[in-house]
Amino acid sequence: MRRLTRFGVIIAAGLLAAACSSSSPSNTGAAAGKNSVLTISNENGALWTCGFNPFNGSDTLVSVGFVYEPLVYVNPLQNGATTPMLATSWTWGPGNKSLTFDIRQGVKFTDGTPLTAADVAYTFDLLKKYPALDLTGVWSVLSSVTQTGQYQVTLNFSTPAVPWFYYIADQTPIVPEHIWSKIANPVSYPDAHPVGSGPYEVNPCTPANITYTANPHYWQPGEPHIQTLKYPAFTSNNTANDELATGQAQWGAQYIPGIQAFYTSKSPDFHYWFPPVLNVALVPNLTNPLLSNVLIRQAMAYAINRPQVSNIGESGYEPAANQAGIVTPTYSGWLDTSQLASDGGYGYDPAKAKQLLAQAGYHLGSDGIMVNAKGQKLEFSVINIGDYSDWVADMQVISQDLKAVGIQVTPQNLTNTDYDADLFPGNFQLAYVEQQTIGPGPYYELNDWLNSADTAPIGKTAATNYERYNNAATDALLNQYAATTSTATQHSIVDQLEQVMLTQVPLIPVTEGVDWYQYDTASFTGWPTPSDPYAQPPVWAYPDNEQVLLHLRPR
Amino acid sequence: MSIPLSLGQPAGEPRRLPSSHALARMGRAVRSNRKATVGAVLLLFFILVALFPGVIAHDNPSLDAYQPHLGPSTAHLLGTTAYGQDMFAQLVWGTRNVMIIAFTVGLATTGIAVLVGVAAAYLGGLWDSSLGVLTDVLLVIPLFPLLIIIAAYAHGGGTLLLIVVITVTSWSYTARQLRSQALTLRSRDFLQAARVRGERRLYVIVMEVIPTMTSLIVASFLTNALYAILFASSLQFIGLGDPNTVSWGTMLYWAQNNAALQTGQPLWAIAPGACIAVLGAAFALLNYAFDEIGNPALRPVRRRARRPELRTVPGSGRA
Amino acid sequence: MRFALRRFGFFAVTLWAALTLNFLLPRLMPGNPALAMMSKFHGELSPQSLNALEILFGVNTHTSLASQYVSYLHQMVTGNFGTSLDFYPASVASVIGSAIWWTLGLVGVTTILAFLLGTGLGIVAAWRRGGRLDSLLPPVFVIASAVPYFLVAMVLVLIFGISLHWLPYLGGYNVTSDTPGFSLTFIGDVLSHAILPALSLLITTIGTWILTMRNTMITTLAEDYVRMARAKGLPGRRIMLDYAARNAILPNLTGFAMSLGFVVSGAILIEYVFNYPGVGYMLLQAVQGEDYPLMQALFLLITVAVLVAILVADIATALLDPRTRTAG
Repeated sequence: MRRLTRFGVIIAAGLLAAACSSSSPSNTGAAAGKNSVLTISNENGALWTCGFNPFNGSDTLVSVGFVYEPLVYVNPLQNGATTPMLATSWTWGPGNKSLTFDIRQGVKFTDGTPLTAADVAYTFDLLKKYPALDLTGVWSVLSSVTQTGQYQVTLNFSTPAVPWFYYIADQTPIVPEHIWSKIANPVSYPDAHPVGSGPYEVNPCTPANITYTANPHYWQPGEPHIQTLKYPAFTSNNTANDELATGQAQWGAQYIPGIQAFYTSKSPDFHYWFPPVLNVALVPNLTNPLLSNVLIRQAMAYAINRPQVSNIGESGYEPAANQAGIVTPTYSGWLDTSQLASDGGYGYDPAKAKQLLAQAGYHLGSDGIMVNAKGQKLEFSVINIGDYSDWVADMQVISQDLKAVGIQVTPQNLTNTDYDADLFPGNFQLAYVEQQTIGPGPYYELNDWLNSADTAPIGKTAATNYERYNNAATDALLNQYAATTSTATQHSIVDQLEQVMLTQVPLIPVTEGVDWYQYDTASFTGWPTPSDPYAQPPVWAYPDNEQVLLHLRPR
Repeated sequence: MSIPLSLGQPAGEPRRLPSSHALARMGRAVRSNRKATVGAVLLLFFILVALFPGVIAHDNPSLDAYQPHLGPSTAHLLGTTAYGQDMFAQLVWGTRNVMIIAFTVGLATTGIAVLVGVAAAYLGGLWDSSLGVLTDVLLVIPLFPLLIIIAAYAHGGGTLLLIVVITVTSWSYTARQLRSQALTLRSRDFLQAARVRGERRLYVIVMEVIPTMTSLIVASFLTNALYAILFASSLQFIGLGDPNTVSWGTMLYWAQNNAALQTGQPLWAIAPGACIAVLGAAFALLNYAFDEIGNPALRPVRRRARRPELRTVPGSGRA
Repeated sequence: MRFALRRFGFFAVTLWAALTLNFLLPRLMPGNPALAMMSKFHGELSPQSLNALEILFGVNTHTSLASQYVSYLHQMVTGNFGTSLDFYPASVASVIGSAIWWTLGLVGVTTILAFLLGTGLGIVAAWRRGGRLDSLLPPVFVIASAVPYFLVAMVLVLIFGISLHWLPYLGGYNVTSDTPGFSLTFIGDVLSHAILPALSLLITTIGTWILTMRNTMITTLAEDYVRMARAKGLPGRRIMLDYAARNAILPNLTGFAMSLGFVVSGAILIEYVFNYPGVGYMLLQAVQGEDYPLMQALFLLITVAVLVAILVADIATALLDPRTRTAG
């Protein structure tokens, strides 16, 4: 017995020692002035590979914006407002078939080498030579790139593609020719010690954490104001959220459930903002014989209570979408509200939904499901990503809403890969989908949804047009938009595209997908806010993250 | 000299099966043992709730019909979830799913174990050794990781998948126990008598051996049901069940996904967890009581006012 | 010696069975689960990595099942478990290497503590037969055995982590403020993060130790030699420890081996609740990320660990108890 008590005392002492020495949450941002450290909270699900190749899809989020930068910053949240970065100005050639950039002088890479037009031309040629590096596919519209002066580069287009300015100028990081021309295989090049022109250098990278230090040669004088950044690798959402809630991380890109109770209630300096950027839509397979009837799709659009889906499934974080497919308030300037109102508004109206179904020749069967004279029932399966618990919750509400008007949908909660394996070849009846690409205007998303060039027959992989929508008139509109730089023409075309969404209902937007973003004003100012949306706020959005880093200042 | 066909039974009386003796004995034992009574009452309560959930809970458990994040009140006994569902209704209706899993897996597992265990013991020889090796190997491979792997390959599934997967992996422990007991019974007198009587092997197994093992079989059923609940709810908790079914494990899954503990909704996680614990305790208490019934040495020593020098000797079975 | 050989033989057979199970499972599932995942990574893997994965899962192979099996076994024996898909391009072996120490620490220390405390309490309970401890223990721990592992963890998190803020409850150490190394702050950080998970695991596993010890002690105390020792007038504690406990502990060891499977399950769920970066948590992450090579390797690792523990327990029992040796 004595032995046991002695042992117990040792254990207790050890635990006490551990508890006393446990590190209390250190106020890492407390030191004012030049020695402040900004800690980022973005759960990536894995440890860092310490590769910084800006053309490797898994590494772009830690390299572009920090170490590498583009020619021009284009702000999707302010209708494409531009900020010259490595390019000081640009002009479109006749017929918009060429684009000339004037490159900024006096820019140096972190190894001291000056950046010139040669590096810009080389970067684009690199993407042409190795298509695996061309993440945004700019060479699908470019024909050639030439250096037309020591500080001037001209790109020639094979087809009118004015909207591609975003991908060319904003989404292409410029790499140094003197380093990359010596790499044997740029596709698998890890780029562990990246040399770029951006505001930060990697110093050092470990699997658990990346530390960035300010680039002393950066071309903007006095920038960046924050000397050190820490980007830990979080493998679980909970830990990343907790770091924000305890103030140990100040810049978050996290989905936090119950954010008031979890986060904002903990300190008056904790804030969040979720700017909407893309639609999350219920997508019908238009080749399905029942769903090809526009009346059915219209009925569905009226039957779904979008505000309820937003409140219940997304805790109100993602606002309700509209049938015109224009994300508001981000692109409110493009929305033709009178058109939306006149076409019935597509508000929550189950009575109207039932009316439309009756018009289509359906009546309520004894089992509560709508059936037509031929005995065909309105029962469908809908594929969904089981991993996204908020999408699973969304579908629960949508199913309940549709059931109330007699349409039975059964959600299939799949893994990511199974979902893709069904979505791309059109192996589904209904799908719950969000597009991946954001752009400085609603055209980009609508183009992804509606352009027949982005679809494929059932069984083959469709790029983005999963519902197999194919309409020559709509294609003509989209091509017309691509050829013009006139804002008036662009607005008129988008109005007509909204008309397509309202009358043809090729898909049913339900909520608006948002950027998750949290920020702590205790030690830093200059954050993007709803009243000052100077950039997309999440740390993984590049090159917007660079703009945020350049605006931030320690208190 | 001819041996009468039914030894010891007065002629003309219908032959009473030994199992009914065993069941009656068990019933008496349950009533007298306090642990067993508590366990039985709890179990009965849950069975009733599973059969008639609408009596207690009037709300639809899956409809997102109410204000989310409400605390407990008279309208919502446990409050509402982050999705506006009535938590109490979910808890009550979820009982059905849990009981189905518990009883189906319990019965199926015990059934397979009886078949395999008794067959191995009785058939002997190569059958016995190969079945023995099979059960021993399955016994050692850790069950929960295996369940996780299988469920992951199947990309998570509904109740049926859970039942099948848990049954297929859990029968070996019970099979081993039953085999051991069947082996010891093989040489007992009443079985010798049956063999001498000329009864067929199958008859002997079904009519003589199995009824004698009734208490062990019932105990095995209880153990298997208990572990079925724990495994199934654990799998649902980590997301390998069907998140759209109403069950205690899926409530835990949603609670975890919504950081229920950190956002001031602890009931969402604690309530289903506590129910699992209570139901599990019911099975465990009954099981333990059966252990005591089987092994008198383990019965609680009831203290009686006695003269000090007449202290009872532990293990003698005298209370 | 024969006993040891027999145990090793059993170990080898079970290991082979586990390997074969691992081989068959993905091939038995309807629609090979690895197929979709593989096509996603097709362009990114080197031909050797791709080949290794194809052998592991039986995808795109045009060879017979038997030759696949042989290649698979060869791969297993040479330690080539493939490339992790979640932690690409790290190899599975290196990924596991980072997580295994956390689980070993947690499970190892907790099991030793549970053994010491559990057997101690069991001995006391059995000795004071009919006393308060004895009558309280069985029902309490019977109920405790039915409590799901994650519930204990959640309650501890709620009380000590969230309400009282006494102890951290997420992760193995504070990722933002500490870097792994042999500094005092790091070690202190690790210890403080380990307290709650260890406590959960301790609470859930100690019950079996106490009960098994108590039950075997009770049976042992009924033995003749104990009665003889009492008659001889030996001091109570001496009888309890040197005569009864020493003999009663042996079945406990085999019981420990049997219950190891449950310790493992408990560890997985507790790591999940605490996001403790061990192999259990990694297994669940691999499941969620569809990282099948990692999943497979972790399952094998856990199985082998359990097997080794059982083998060690068996041999220890044999060394301590001559009866088992001759019983064969």
